[in-house]
Amino acid sequence: MSASYQAVGWNKQKKKYDWIIFSFCVVYLIVFIGVTAYVNPDYTFETVLVRSTSTLALLLLHVILSIGPLARINKKFLPLLYNRRHLGVTMFTVALVHASFGIFQFHALGNVNPLVSLFMSNTNYGSLADFPFQALGFFALIIFFLMAITSHDFWLHNLGPKVWKTLHMMVYPAYFLIIMHVMLGVIQYETNPVFVLILGVGSSTLIVLHLIAGTREVKKDNEEFGLKQDGFVMVCGVNDIEDNRAKMFCIDKERIAVFKFERKLFAVNNVCKHQNGPLGEGKIVDGCLTCPWHGYQYLPQNGQSPPPFKEKVSTYDVKVQGQNVWVNPKPYPEGTERKGANF
Amino acid sequence: MQEFYIGWMDKAPRTFAQFVKKYLLLILPVIIVIAVLLGALQKKFSKGNFEFGQPTTVTGIYFNHPVPLIKVINGKDIFGNISYITIPLVGYGKHGADGIISDIEKEKNISLDQKEVSLKGTLLYNDGKTIMQVDKNDTVLVHYSGKQIASELLPQKKDLGTLSIKGEIVDSKCYFGVMKPGEGKPHRDCAIRCILGGIPPVLVVKNEKGEANYYLLVDADGAKINQSVQPFVATPVTVNANAIQYDDWIVLYVNKNAGIREISRSAFYQPGNAVACVMR
Ligand code: HEM
Ligand code: FES
Repeated sequence: MSASYQAVGWNKQKKKYDWIIFSFCVVYLIVFIGVTAYVNPDYTFETVLVRSTSTLALLLLHVILSIGPLARINKKFLPLLYNRRHLGVTMFTVALVHASFGIFQFHALGNVNPLVSLFMSNTNYGSLADFPFQALGFFALIIFFLMAITSHDFWLHNLGPKVWKTLHMMVYPAYFLIIMHVMLGVIQYETNPVFVLILGVGSSTLIVLHLIAGTREVKKDNEEFGLKQDGFVMVCGVNDIEDNRAKMFCIDKERIAVFKFERKLFAVNNVCKHQNGPLGEGKIVDGCLTCPWHGYQYLPQNGQSPPPFKEKVSTYDVKVQGQNVWVNPKPYPEGTERKGANF
Repeated sequence: MQEFYIGWMDKAPRTFAQFVKKYLLLILPVIIVIAVLLGALQKKFSKGNFEFGQPTTVTGIYFNHPVPLIKVINGKDIFGNISYITIPLVGYGKHGADGIISDIEKEKNISLDQKEVSLKGTLLYNDGKTIMQVDKNDTVLVHYSGKQIASELLPQKKDLGTLSIKGEIVDSKCYFGVMKPGEGKPHRDCAIRCILGGIPPVLVVKNEKGEANYYLLVDADGAKINQSVQPFVATPVTVNANAIQYDDWIVLYVNKNAGIREISRSAFYQPGNAVACVMR
C-alpha cells in the first residue's frame, strides 16, 4: 500500500476554505429561512428545514459540478478544484439533513418501517406525473454517501484509480436523479414558473461549461502533426516551451507532456495517476514535475514519484533537431528512465 | 513567468488568491439572490395550526359513524338552534383513532357511541374545520357518563343525492394543520401513509378563488374506504357517490370499485369549468 495519501494535509489554506464554505452555507440558510418566515408567517419549522437544506444542497451541487470545467477553462480556478472534496462532503451532509428529516416527516410514525414506506406508499412507478420522486432522492443520496466516504485519498489507493474514478463519475447520474426528484416532486405542486427557470439556468450553465471545456480538449487532441520521421513526430519549436514548464501533445491517442528542465527536454505521459490531472499544465518544483491539480510529483527523467511514493507514468523518447522538438509517441513501460534531449 | 499553484502550498500565489477572492465576491450575491427568490416565491403556506404539546380537553358526544368523532355543543344560537362543531378524531403519528377508542371500550367494558364524554387530545384546525389527535399514551377518556343523550343532539342528517365531484383526496390530519403543504405531489407519500394508517380520507374541492369544500370519504356501506383510495391520493380525481350531510360535514358513500376515477391535471384545471363546488 502506498503512503502517498498522507501528502494531503490540513493546511492553513484548507482551513480558510472550510470556513468560507461554512459561512456561505450559513448565509444561505439564514436568508432562505428569514425570507420564508417573513413572507409566510404561517410557515412550519419542519418544512423550512426540509426546503432550506434541500435547496442549499442542490446549489452546492451546481457549484461543485462547475469547478471541473472552470478549472480547465481558466487555471486560476485551481485552488477551488483542489478543495472541491470539502464542498462535496459539505453537500452530502446538508443533503443528509434534508433526507433524514424528509424520511421522518413523511414516513415515520406510520404502520410500516419508514424505509419500506419510502418505496411502498406511492407505487406509481409506471407514471411520470405521479412517479414516486422520493425514491430518486434516496438513490442519489446513496451515491453522494459513497462519494463522501471515499473522498479521502486513502480510498483512491485502496480502490484503485479506475474504480474510484468510476464511482466519482456517478455524480452525473446522481445530479440527473436530483433534477428528476425536484421536477417530479415539488415542481408538480408549485405554480410559480420561476422555480423551473432557476433550475433550467443552473443545468444549462453546467452543460455549457462542460461543452466549452470539452471542445477545447477535443481540439487539442485532434491537432495534426505534419512532419514524421522514424516514428518521431515534430511537435513544436524548442523556444515554445518555457523553462520548468511543459506543453501537452496528443499524438496517436497518446497524451504526452514535454517538459523543459535544466536545459534538457523530457517527455512523460500527461495523465496524472492521482485523478487524471493534466501533468502538462504542471511545473517542475524542487526537481519534480508537479501535477497542477493536487500536487502529485514525478521525476522528469523516469516518470516515477520520489520515494516513499510509488506512482509511475510512462516515458517517451524526445529529440531536438535544429530548433525543433520531435517526440516518439511509443510509450516505454511506466517508470522507464530516459536520458532526455539536449538543446 | 506565470505563477504556479499547488494545492498543498500554505498560501496560494497572489494572482490565484486574488482571482478566487473575486469569484467568491461574485458568487456571494448570487447565493443571496437565489435564497431570496426561493424563499419568497414558495406557494403560500396554509393557515392551518397544530397545537403540538398543548393538549385540550373537550366535552361532547362521541359517535362511531361516519368516522370516530366528537360533537361539541357550545350553547344555542340566536334562533334557539343548537350551535356545535363536529371534530373528527385521529391517532398519534400516522394512525387513525379507531384502535385507541376500541381499546378504551374493551378495557373499561363500555360503549362510547352516542354517549357524552370528555376527551383529552391535541387540536388542529384550518378553514373552519377542526380535528383532534388522541394519543394512546395519554389518558384520553377524562370523563364518561353512561347516560343516553337527548334525541335533538343526534346528528341532523340530510340526503344530498348522488354527486359527481372533482377534487383531491388528502388525509385529514396533515391537511388541516400538521403539514404544510398537506396536499399535492410533495405530500403524496405521507398522505398515503396516513390514510393507510387509518386517518379519515377527505376529498378537498376548491374553486378558482381557492375556496374549498370538504367531504369525508367512506365506502358505500359506511365502512372505512382507506385501503381502496391508496392509488387515488393527492392526484386529481372524480368521485361519484351518494352524499349525506351529517351536521357540519358532508359524507360521501363511495363505491369502492368504481366510485373514484383519476383524471388528468388539465381536465382538473379547465378554465371556466371551475373545479366542481357543491355548496351546502
Ligand atoms: C432519502 C432521500 C430523500 C428524501 C426522502 C427526500 C424527500 C423530499 C421531499 C418529501 C421533498 C418535498 C418537500 C416539500 O417541499 O414539501 C423533497 C424536495 C427536494 N429534495 Fe429531496 N429527498 C431526498 C434526497 C434528496 C437529495 C439527496 C437531494 C440533493 C440535493 C434532494 C434535494 C431536494 C430538492 C432540491 C427538493 C425541492 C425543494 C423542496 O421542496 O424541499 N433530496 N425531497
Ligand atoms: S490529479 Fe490529483 S495530483 Fe494529479
